[in-house]
Formats: sequence, C-alpha cells, structure tokens
Amino acid sequence: MGAWARFRRNRLALIGLALIVVLAISAALAPWLAPYDPARQSLIEKRAKPGAKYLLGADEFGRDILSRVIYGSRVALLVGVLSVTIALVGGLLMGTTAGYAGGWFDAVLMRGIDILLAFPYLLLALAIVAVLGPGALNTTIAVGIWGVPAVTRIVRGSVLALRETEYVGAARALGAPAPALLRRHILPNIVPSLVVYATLFMANAILLEAALSFLGLGVQPPTASWGLMVSTGRDVLLVAPHVATVPGLAIMVAVLAFNLVGDGLRDALDPRLRGAV
Amino acid sequence: MRTFASRPLIGLLVLGLAVALVPSADAQKRGGTLTIVRPTDPVSLDPNLETTAPGAWVYFNMLEGLLTLDEKMQVKPALATAYEVMSPTKVRFKLRSGVKFHDGTPFNAEAVKFTFDRALKGTPPARWASLAGSLSHAEVVDDLTVDVVTKEPYGPILRTLAMYCMGIVSPTAVQKMGADFSRAPVGTGPFKFVEWKTNTHVIIERNPDYWGDKALVDRVIFKVVPEEGARMIALQTGDADMVLFPSPAQLPTLRKDSKFTVHETTGIRVVFAGLHAGQPPLDDVRVRSALLHAVDRQAILDNIMEGSAGPARGVLAPGVFGYKDMQLESRYPFDRSRAKALLTQAGWTPGPDGIMQKGGQRLSLSWLAARGRYPKDGEITEAIQAMFKEVGVEARVQVLEWAAVFQQVRGNPLNHHMFTLGWVTSNADADYSLFALFHSKQVPPSGWNTSRYANARVDALVEQARRSLNQTEREKLYGEVQDILAKEMVWIPVYTTKEIIATRASVKGFHIHPVEYNLALGKTWLDK
Amino acid sequence: MLTFVVRRLLLAVPVLLGVVFVVMLTIDLLPGDAVTLMLGEHATQDAVGKLREHLGLDQPFLVRYLDYVGRLARGDLGRSIQQNRPVASELADTWPATLQLTVAALLIAAAVGMAAGVASAVWPNSLFDDLARLGSLFGLSMPIFWTGLVLIVIFSLWLNWLPVGGAGSLPHLVLPAVTLALPSVAMIARMTRSAVLDVLREDYVRTARAKGVSEVWVLGRHALRNAFIPILTLIGLQSGQLMGGAVLTETVFAWPGLGRLMVKAIFARDYILLQGAVLVFALAFVVINLLVDLSYGLLDPRVGRQG
Repeated sequence: MGAWARFRRNRLALIGLALIVVLAISAALAPWLAPYDPARQSLIEKRAKPGAKYLLGADEFGRDILSRVIYGSRVALLVGVLSVTIALVGGLLMGTTAGYAGGWFDAVLMRGIDILLAFPYLLLALAIVAVLGPGALNTTIAVGIWGVPAVTRIVRGSVLALRETEYVGAARALGAPAPALLRRHILPNIVPSLVVYATLFMANAILLEAALSFLGLGVQPPTASWGLMVSTGRDVLLVAPHVATVPGLAIMVAVLAFNLVGDGLRDALDPRLRGAV
Repeated sequence: MRTFASRPLIGLLVLGLAVALVPSADAQKRGGTLTIVRPTDPVSLDPNLETTAPGAWVYFNMLEGLLTLDEKMQVKPALATAYEVMSPTKVRFKLRSGVKFHDGTPFNAEAVKFTFDRALKGTPPARWASLAGSLSHAEVVDDLTVDVVTKEPYGPILRTLAMYCMGIVSPTAVQKMGADFSRAPVGTGPFKFVEWKTNTHVIIERNPDYWGDKALVDRVIFKVVPEEGARMIALQTGDADMVLFPSPAQLPTLRKDSKFTVHETTGIRVVFAGLHAGQPPLDDVRVRSALLHAVDRQAILDNIMEGSAGPARGVLAPGVFGYKDMQLESRYPFDRSRAKALLTQAGWTPGPDGIMQKGGQRLSLSWLAARGRYPKDGEITEAIQAMFKEVGVEARVQVLEWAAVFQQVRGNPLNHHMFTLGWVTSNADADYSLFALFHSKQVPPSGWNTSRYANARVDALVEQARRSLNQTEREKLYGEVQDILAKEMVWIPVYTTKEIIATRASVKGFHIHPVEYNLALGKTWLDK
Repeated sequence: MLTFVVRRLLLAVPVLLGVVFVVMLTIDLLPGDAVTLMLGEHATQDAVGKLREHLGLDQPFLVRYLDYVGRLARGDLGRSIQQNRPVASELADTWPATLQLTVAALLIAAAVGMAAGVASAVWPNSLFDDLARLGSLFGLSMPIFWTGLVLIVIFSLWLNWLPVGGAGSLPHLVLPAVTLALPSVAMIARMTRSAVLDVLREDYVRTARAKGVSEVWVLGRHALRNAFIPILTLIGLQSGQLMGGAVLTETVFAWPGLGRLMVKAIFARDYILLQGAVLVFALAFVVINLLVDLSYGLLDPRVGRQG
C-alpha cells in the first residue's frame, strides 16, 4: 500500500491538510478575502468588540482583526516553512555527517554545535538584525539558524543508534557504500522523528517570531503578524481579551494543522510498513 | 551674618511653633509597611551612579539636597535655610543646624563640599555631573555656611541644586564603605536604608532622628514586578499598596472604584516626533507645517494615551520655568485639507499610488522609533504613520531596540527623516531643554539638536538667558525663543507625560509630584 | 567511563572560551555600547569618554578578550559595567532561582509528558489519546506570556489560591513552573508517543509478544528502553530551551532569575555581566549533554562509547 493512500485514510491528517490549504489560500488571496485594509486605522473604534462592522473585533488602533489575521497568514507561512527548512537542511547535513563519520570530526562539529546552543538566542537574533536589518525575512533566518543545533543533535543521536543495528551492520559487512546506507537504511528511520519534531518546531518558530517582533526585530509597522498581535494585545488582556486571543487562536489552528499533517506523514512513511529493509 | 550663640534656644522656639502650627494630626495613623511595585530594579542607590527613576524613587527619600522642588514646582529650602548671591558665579548658602546623617555623623559644609567634589571631580565623574551645567565646586566658609561656585554665570543654579539627584551624602560612610555605598547609601532623609535584594526588593525604614516631620509609616518595600498586568493584579489583591506606572487602560475603572485612588498631575517630559530639518524634504517649513496639520493629536491622546498623558502645548512642559504655551492647537489644528494645500504649495502633487510626488521623487520619509522607551512610543508612531498616509505622505517606520535607535539618533549624520523621542527637563528650567535641543552648535554628538535646527536669533537668546541671574529677564527671553520656534516647528510634539500613581484607598497623605523622580513618602500614612 | 567524562569536560573548555569569544565579538558588532546607554541622553561626550577610559572599555577587542580570559582563569568573573558589582554576586543572586524554576519545570514536563505519551502509545486513537494530543497542542501553541497571565487571572485573582508573583516559597513556584513546563510537556508527550509507538512495532517486540511475554514486560524491557534515546535527547534539549526560554516566564511572574538578567545585560550591552551569565548556562548545558550521552551508553549497550 502506497504512502499517499495510507495518508488519505487518516481523517485527522486530511483535516490538517485542509487547514493548511485554507492557510495557503488565505495567504495568496489576502487582498481579495480581507474585508478591510489591514493598515486602516480608526482610533475612535479602538478595541471594538466583535460585531457586525468588525467580525472579529478591532485592535488598539481600530484596525479590523479579521483582515489582519488573514494578512498575518502570509508571515506565519513564511516564518513556519522557511525557518523549518533552514533548520532541517542544516541539521540533517551536520547530523548525518557527524553521526556517521564519528571520531574527531564528530567531536569538533559537536563542540561547535555546543557553542551555538550555549549562545543566547536573543543575541543571535539581534546580531542578524544588526547585519541584515529588521524585517520578517531576517527574523525567519534567525529562527532557522537557531533550530539547526537541535535538529543536528536529534539526527546525530538516531544515526549513532542506527549505525550499530544488526541490519545496518550486515549491510556494511556486505560492502554497501555509505551514501546508499544512509539513504536506504538510516534516513528512513530518522524521518518519522524528524517529521514530528519539525511540525513542533514550526509552532515554536511562530512563537519565537512573536517575541522578536515585539522587541522590534520582526515585522515592521504596519505589517500584521499573528505573533506581534498577541504580544501587543496582552497589555489589554484584562479589558479586551479578543485582541490577543483571536490571533492566538489563529496560531493554534495553524500549529494544529501542521501537527496533524505531521502525524499523518509519520504514519504513512513508516518504513516497517513499506516492507523495505 | 548674625552670630549663632542663641541658636539652640531659637531653634527650640521655632520647633515649638512649628509643632503647634502643624494641622491636627490625630487623624493620621502611625506605623505599617507601604508596599510599592514597579517595573525594574535600580542600578544603584547612589546618585553618582544612578540618575534614572528606579534608583531615584528610592534614594529621594534617603538623601536630601540643599534645596528642593515642591509639588507646585517652587524652589524650597531643604538642608539649606537661606541663600545670598555673592557674585555672578558664587551663591552662599546657610545650612540647617542640628542635622545628622543616618550614621550619626553631623551634616555640615564639609559634607556638602565632599559630595560635590566626589561627584564633579571624581574619576569618573558622577552621572549627575552632566546635568549640573556650569556647577564647579563648593567652598566651606564655616561649619554651617557653604559657597556654591559656578564656572560662569549660571541662571538655572537654584533649580539645578534642587534636583532630585543632588542629595548630600555622609563623607564618613562613603569613606568607610567604598563601593558598597552604592548599595546602601547614608543620607539625612526621613527614611534610611535597610536591605536590597537584587531584582526582588529594596526596603527602607523610618528615620526616628529626622530633623523635620518624621515619617509616618514604619517601612517601605519597593518590589520589582516587570509585567504590567501582574502589577495591577497585585494592587487588586492588596499584595501592593501603590503601583508606579499603572496600566492606562485600567485607569478609568480604578478612578470609579472607591477602594482605589488614582493620583495624577502633569509631568515635565514631552514626547515628540522629531523632524530632520537639515535635509530635504523636511527643510521646507511648509512641508513640516503640513505634517503638523496631518496629525490628530487629540485622537492620539484620547485613544492611545487614554487620559494617561496631557496635550503637548509646546516643546516644554508646563511647570518648567520659562514655559510658554506655544498655541499649537490654534496654529496647527488637525486639518487634512490644509495639510494637502501646504504640500501643493511646496510643489508636491498626488502620485498614482496616492503618495505625493515632486520631480519624480515620492514623499517617502524614513522614521526611526523604539518600542517601550517612552510610554506608547511605538504606538503613536504607528498611528501617525497611518495619519500621514491620509495626506499622501509615506512613512517607512523602523522599530528597533533602544540601543540601536539611540546610537543612530546620537550620531552624525542622521540617516532618517524622523525619529520618535522624549525629552525630560531634568532641572525643570527651560535652559536645560532649549539650549541642548535648539542651539545650532548642539548638533549631535555634542548636544541633542537632533533636528539640526539653526537660527541665529535663537542661539543668541538662549546664550543670554543662560548667563543671566535675573529670573524675570530669563523668562522673557525664553518666551521669545518659543515664539520663534512656533513658526518654524521642527518637532511634532505629541504629548506631555502625566505622572500617574495608583494606590489603594488606605494610602493617605500622598502627594504626587510633577517630577517623576520626586517620590516623596515622608507624609504618607496607611489607614489600615 | 572516567576517562570519557574527563575528556568531555576538558573538551568543554574550548567550547566555553569559544562562546565567550563569540559573545564578546557580537556585542562589539551591535550598535550602541554600554557606557553611552548607561549615561543616557543627558550625559556629555566628555563624561562618556572619561568613563569608558576608566572602565578600560576603549581598549581593542583582543586586549579585552585576553584580559577577560586571564581573569577567568583566576576565577574572577569581573564586575558588571552597569553597577560595578562583582558579576559573581549578581549570578549568585539569580542562578538559584533559575535552577529552581528550570528543575521544577523539567520534572513536571518529563513526568507528565512521558506518562501521557506512554499512555497514548499503549491506547492509540482512544479518547484519552485524542484528548491528550489536543491538550498538548493547546499547550504548545499559546505564547507563554498569554498562558501565564491567564493562569494568574484564574489562580490569583479569581480563586486567590496562589500568589501573584515574585519568589519565596513553594506556592510562588507553582504557576511559573507549570507555565514554563507546558510547551515541554506537549513536546515530550508527543515525542514519547511517537518513539514508543515506533518501538512497539519493531520486530523483536512482535517476536516477544508472539512468544507470549506479558505486555508489561514487553513495554518495560524493550519498548521503553529503546524509545528512551530520542526522548532523552529531547529532554536534554528541552532543558537548554527551558533555561534560555525562561525569560518570558520570569518576566510575567517577576521571577528573579538568570534569564531576565541576561536580557537586561544584552540590551544594556553589559558584556561582562552577560558573559558571566552565558558561562553559567553553557556550563550547565555541557553537564546536561554529558549526562545525556552517558545515559545513551547505559541504555543501549550497542551504542558504546562515543566522543
């Protein structure tokens, strides 16, 4: 049974996929979907409660929250997808080479990773912004780079363990070349853990962007980012909870979607069921 | 000067009269602990090392200067009882007798000289040395008489000496404690130091040997609670009696609730959007005026500041000596059509995307701002950005951390057209602001003329006013400066801060001061 | 084993020196510097210059770096630029609080997370599993300052069970530790579920089951032992994240910890204080990684000794 067929049978995974499609459509068609210009202010209507005029209410500047949430999906997708890609590519490269090669190469690389991990994240973000300038893209790069050490460690850990399993040992004894080993035997076993970690990382990425945006390192006004909306809305949490909660719910739905799909992928890609050993 | 043989007798008599004249205090209760919550911990409790609010709030109650500023912004005696101008650069002060430091050593002219030398001649000089203008040193005349000397005639001398950071310190304590003094200062004030647990709390207690009206509460605890929401909750639950920097959105509810009291008064800080007048297109006064007309300041005050700030009527705050109402409301009322008309006059026409254009160039301004440095600085920037768009001006806002903003604003050249800043007139004297902000030679990095404003007449006026000791004359000169500035505005003043403190109703006798650093707790008592 | 530990600790030294180097370099490259920020808008150029000279901050980078490392070798962490207070004292004031918070959060996260993850794996797609997964998603997605404030509103304001903030006693620790632990609980639960599920499907587990070995035995001996490796890696990583990410929690709950101190130092460009804090974190991280790697060897003898 093919992976895609297995995936299709998983109802929750399909719901997740549907949500992601909604997210993508929202991002692509934002100018047509949003009822108002997301930067249009109406100070007198600040913090308006959800109602006929503003379906999800208005923020502290009287801007329509629904429109800003729709436009915010662009930043969310950018941050989520791009940062995870950077983290995965970097982490896979370093983790597999370190885990497989072993020896002094592994030791040096891992010490380098340790340095990066011990480095305060805020400082890393500030440095990147100082060099590249503020804005969503550069914050995304910072988030991605931050994720590389973690992925490297996970990959390396699994590679180390798998390297010594019987069937890999057997394959090596039979003279299989390293790249083939990696591709055929080791990587497929890592992918499920990675997929799960990646989807969780995307949640973290959006939340990290929120913290950074709040400190002025992310999107610049008047761009909308869900994270920034939650951050600035927390000042009025006790008087107008919808300002922070609505974008927070948007974050949750997006994260939920990625997680459901991630789970579905993990189930679908399980090599044990594929029959290849 | 008179001899002081009968001083003790006179002193007793005066004291007796004072006690008799004090309004019946039987309503006041003695004792209790006042708990105050605020966002940050002090860096130090020594004015030499700390001039910002977190430290000042605490040491203001432990250290006293020669003079002080009361809530009506009038200079009043503190450790000095009388003064006499000896020459344009020398003022003689008679010191209060019978005053002791918290460590028991006597307060005298030596202590004053020690404090000034330590600050002005020390290595490195004190933080407050930069605020002291032409102050040079103090000379001991006799035990209770001291001469304060300035490098050149300095008009603001009295107000400078009345600043919150001019507290006299105990020479014995400084010499004994060395660097530890900054964590446990010894002064003459109504409270003395008890303990400081970093990033948690500072505790001070009543000084029973205080020379004046003794404090009414036993102890004051200053707690650190960074999150605004948590501070307000602490006030509600009673974990805190007083909140510094309360949440503006909750003030309307608190004002109506009889369990709480909201104390407020106009402060002395003006927050503004500065314009780089040395660079096109803002070197054209018509464009600057158009920008002023484009901003609905009242809407910002009502909806963003929500009553936590007052209108900015000029570049100075009322309460500052030399302040003049620059009539901004009538000169530059919110009027979009007037703004557009002025832009058209200056040669700008609407482009295809709605943004004004001239000679192929779009009216696009780059704007530097921080978030959280001044109340709602990021928010007012964003609001004005949207208002500018309505008249066809595009503002590209860059919100950066304060360190980055500070460096760029303090640098030369300035690569932005606009910046959001605040300026507090630390010694409540117009010289402090008008000289540093608008004198043509005070362009960064030597001064703070970030707008690159240059007007020869204004230069001459502020120079003259600085050197004059005639306060009436100075007031007139500053009035003229503000008249000229009003016609050539290089700022968009947005608001004047309000000092607001929220307390539980059980806190009585507290009077809020326009200068945010002057948190006087000597007369506060708890009705519990 | 001993040589392994010693070797790793020795290897940690270049890491620590490397971190100090990179941190110092980064602070230098960032706009703004400690003295101008400290003295503020109202200081004269002259005062700034004098203070910088007095503190030795006008020296070239390498001079300052070597000076710092030299003093470090003698056990001297220097004095903070802002307060001229020994960094060691500043750290001593704050690191116990962070340690308390991190350990409490880690314990909660590991215990609750693993328990929920195992239960989910043993009864996959049951109501419990669905609820647990939904719950952990919720915990993962909401920003810490939001959950923190909500918890304060519920437990301090409405129910008045727990104090609002600050540190001091066990009740003060509850809310911050729970808030900090929530995202990690979710991560660990999910990772545990996934890893245990994977192992439960392994051939040798199926074999054991087929041989009639009891379910509990299968679970304990085989499944958990081998599932533990990725879980352990994650726990090791989470502790690093917990330490660093405690900043927001510390802010919301006024918890006087190292995270807040570090952020303050970064914004004030007080690199001497910052380096002290970073070293503490880095050292803790090295130790945790060492423990995790050691347990790899304990849990899976096939892995043997690495590094």
